[in-house]
Amino acid sequence: MIVVDELTKKYGSTTAVERLSFTVAPGRVTGFLGPNGSGKSTTMRCMIGLDRSSSGSARFDGRAYRDLARPLTEVGALLDAGNAHSGRSARNHLRWIATSNGFSARRVDEVLEMVGLQQVAKKRVGQFSLGMKQRLGIAAVMLGDPQVVILDEPANGLDPEGIRWIREVLRNLANQGRSVLVSSHLLAEMAMIADDLVVIGRGRLVDQCTVTEFIDRHATKWVTVRSPQLDRLTDLVRNAGHRVESSGDAADIHGVEAAAVGELAAANGIVLHELSTQTGSLEDAFLEATAMSVEYHGLSESAT
Amino acid sequence: MIATIRSEWIKLRTVRSNVTTAIVAMVIPLAISLLSVTFMGENNIDSGTLPGFIVGSGSVAVLLIGVLGVLCVTQEYSQGTIRLTLAATPSRPRVYLAKGVVVAVLGAALTGLVILIGTVVGSAIIDARDVPELVSNPDAAPAFLAMILMGAVVALLGMAIGALTRNPPSAITTLVLWPLLVEGIVGGLLSLAFVDDVARWMPFQSGLNSMFLELPEDGFGRWGSLGYFAAWVLFVSLMAERSLKRRDA
Repeated sequence: MIVVDELTKKYGSTTAVERLSFTVAPGRVTGFLGPNGSGKSTTMRCMIGLDRSSSGSARFDGRAYRDLARPLTEVGALLDAGNAHSGRSARNHLRWIATSNGFSARRVDEVLEMVGLQQVAKKRVGQFSLGMKQRLGIAAVMLGDPQVVILDEPANGLDPEGIRWIREVLRNLANQGRSVLVSSHLLAEMAMIADDLVVIGRGRLVDQCTVTEFIDRHATKWVTVRSPQLDRLTDLVRNAGHRVESSGDAADIHGVEAAAVGELAAANGIVLHELSTQTGSLEDAFLEATAMSVEYHGLSESAT
Repeated sequence: MIATIRSEWIKLRTVRSNVTTAIVAMVIPLAISLLSVTFMGENNIDSGTLPGFIVGSGSVAVLLIGVLGVLCVTQEYSQGTIRLTLAATPSRPRVYLAKGVVVAVLGAALTGLVILIGTVVGSAIIDARDVPELVSNPDAAPAFLAMILMGAVVALLGMAIGALTRNPPSAITTLVLWPLLVEGIVGGLLSLAFVDDVARWMPFQSGLNSMFLELPEDGFGRWGSLGYFAAWVLFVSLMAERSLKRRDA
């Protein structure tokens, strides 16, 4: 269980993370979602004490990271798969990390096998592909068999096979009862991986909820109708004050429930061939929710 | 603490450039002193010749050991491993101390090896040449001890500069220019301005002087000079440790 409480990180006069609070529950994959530059990585660095937070705290089962005697047995964090000396072999890379927390050389071989790198254990990390480095990073995370796993953009730059592998790893970790926090700006990926979402924009919490709740709360909904008397129906709906986009024999009506449209049609003797509620994707929900807080607006937006 | 030291030692010895630097730090000074006793005129060789060459080449040895000290910190920043180091060991003073123990012991061991190999091989070379039997030089042992300690102290200085700059080129430049240029210029200006015996107040020069067989007359003596330099290195190290503790990784 991770509890982040009012975490704030300032760089000079810039506030990268502002009074951010959220929790990560065991047995679930929590997606940490936000546009680039919204403070996800900063938050993660503050959580494990690499950056000093200006105020607030992150606690792992009630304790701050710096108070963990052998932190790798409780928290495994992979912030950047590139954080490995290119001249060291994969095995030696894991050995120095293992030794620092008192794990044996046998444990190193175990995790190498777990991620499927035993064949290239003696190869230098510099010769690794991004996917192999990502696996090496996961191996380092698993050295201490931690109950909390934190991954920053693990799917970044991976091929489809690598992404699927990461997804399965995360699912397995959560199924084993661990608390998994994984950041991404890839929304479709989050929808497939995550159970819960922590959405931030400009360093502030936008929402914490399940994926379904998030779509319900933030995604746009509209009603699609098909009718042989479409023109009459759209006129009626427009007169009632709703926005209508029609194309061919179908029309999308915004800001109204399907039932209301149905009743309006019945009251006026209009035949309907389709009456359905449409929901925007997670991507739309995300853009909608963070629209007010995106760090870098385009020219057209900043003009408004 | 022991685990952190062992981890730092693995980290240091599993990168090829570190091993190369360590070997170069022994080979160059050994080559200087051994070639010198090989080609020196036989009439000029006395009991102080071989130890003199060994401690004379010691300044090269300790500077290269300082470079090794720089590398063991800066490569953590250039390769990003510092984040893993501090995630594995959140206590930054402990990380600094463990690294310091490893580079200081290694620095002392490398200068010790230079002295050992230099003395054994150098004596064999002198024996093979037509030189009358030499008595042992009474200044050799304390000078050798000072050189071993300098190996440790300069390694710590390199590490401290590396931790302050976090950047290999600027750290190595600082380390090398300090004794070669900065102290020369500062010392020269100061002695022109008002102080006469300013040379002994130059920390690095003072440290290097402690390794001489025959000490300069206006210094603090062997252990005084070395202690004075070590005090400076302690000061820089404390600043570096504070910087590691305060700055974001």
